[in-house]
Amino acid sequence: MKTISVGTLESSDCLITLKSAQTLSIDIDSVVHEAFYDHIKAVVEKTLAQYNIEKIQVIVQDKGALDYTIIARLKSAIERWREAHG
Amino acid sequence: MEIYEADAVIIDFEDAVNVSEKMEARHLTESFLNNHTVSVDIYVRINSEEPFLDEDITLINQLPIQGVVVPKSTEAFLKKLLPKFKASLDVLALIETPNAFFELNKIAQMKPVKSLLLGAEDLMSVIGGIRDESGLAINYARSALIMAGRAHGKTIIDTPWVSLDENQLQEDIKCGQTLGFDGKMAIHPNQVIAINEAFSPSPKAIESALRILAMHKKKGSMRFSLDGKMVDKPIIQQAQNFLDKAKQYGLLSGENYDL
Repeated sequence: MKTISVGTLESSDCLITLKSAQTLSIDIDSVVHEAFYDHIKAVVEKTLAQYNIEKIQVIVQDKGALDYTIIARLKSAIERWREAHG
Repeated sequence: MEIYEADAVIIDFEDAVNVSEKMEARHLTESFLNNHTVSVDIYVRINSEEPFLDEDITLINQLPIQGVVVPKSTEAFLKKLLPKFKASLDVLALIETPNAFFELNKIAQMKPVKSLLLGAEDLMSVIGGIRDESGLAINYARSALIMAGRAHGKTIIDTPWVSLDENQLQEDIKCGQTLGFDGKMAIHPNQVIAINEAFSPSPKAIESALRILAMHKKKGSMRFSLDGKMVDKPIIQQAQNFLDKAKQYGLLSGENYDL
């Protein structure tokens, strides 16, 4: 199974892991889950859409990252994924 | 967003970022600057080596930033890079290799170069000196920057002090400030207050400069003694320069102090 992780589990950061999948699934584990689950999910979906990605598993382990961090980590993960898997 | 009252912030792509994480640094910076407004001038220190250098330049040309810090600046390196930067970027030349000191006069003449920055730790790693808070090991380097910067009207920013010891920081600040630097880089937010205090004209010094100019006006002379000190043309000019700086910092309230 293809797996790429980018980011850290430090405060205000997040660790994003991509795994190959036949459908789109987004798993979010956040310290601010209750208040921001929908928001984080929307940020991830929007960024994936920019790359036209429809089949992948995204695991977000969030330690209170701001949007810009989640976007940056996800973009890095996607580009690492593409480097590794063509 | 204010950042500890620093006048500017340098985002680092070079030594603070692992080789394996250069892309992450670019993405974080791009994402941050495109989603947040900051009230300070932002500069980016790019890498000096490929393959990162080209990717860094491509990005910084698209970012809403004031300028770029060029590490290991030499005349040849700057000549190669300057045409690649978008015209609105201020270039801050980080002087941190022995060769650069023999080319300072030419580097300081380059129009896009707005400031000379001293990078003492890299310099020490090459020349083998041992830097401490006395500043002895970098006294020549500091002075050389001052001469080149002043000769060509560029601002001169002193090297950071890398230890968090406050007394050592004070000593090191004093070295650069005494020699004539315009400011100093901080490597930790806790250093900003001490640096700002040291480089801002003090009320006592402002008072003294105002008295010199007042006496100059009253006597209509370029030569007089004040408080047991001989005052002549260069001293009066220093007082004038000092008050110009105080005014620039917003520390003078409308007093008429012009020569």
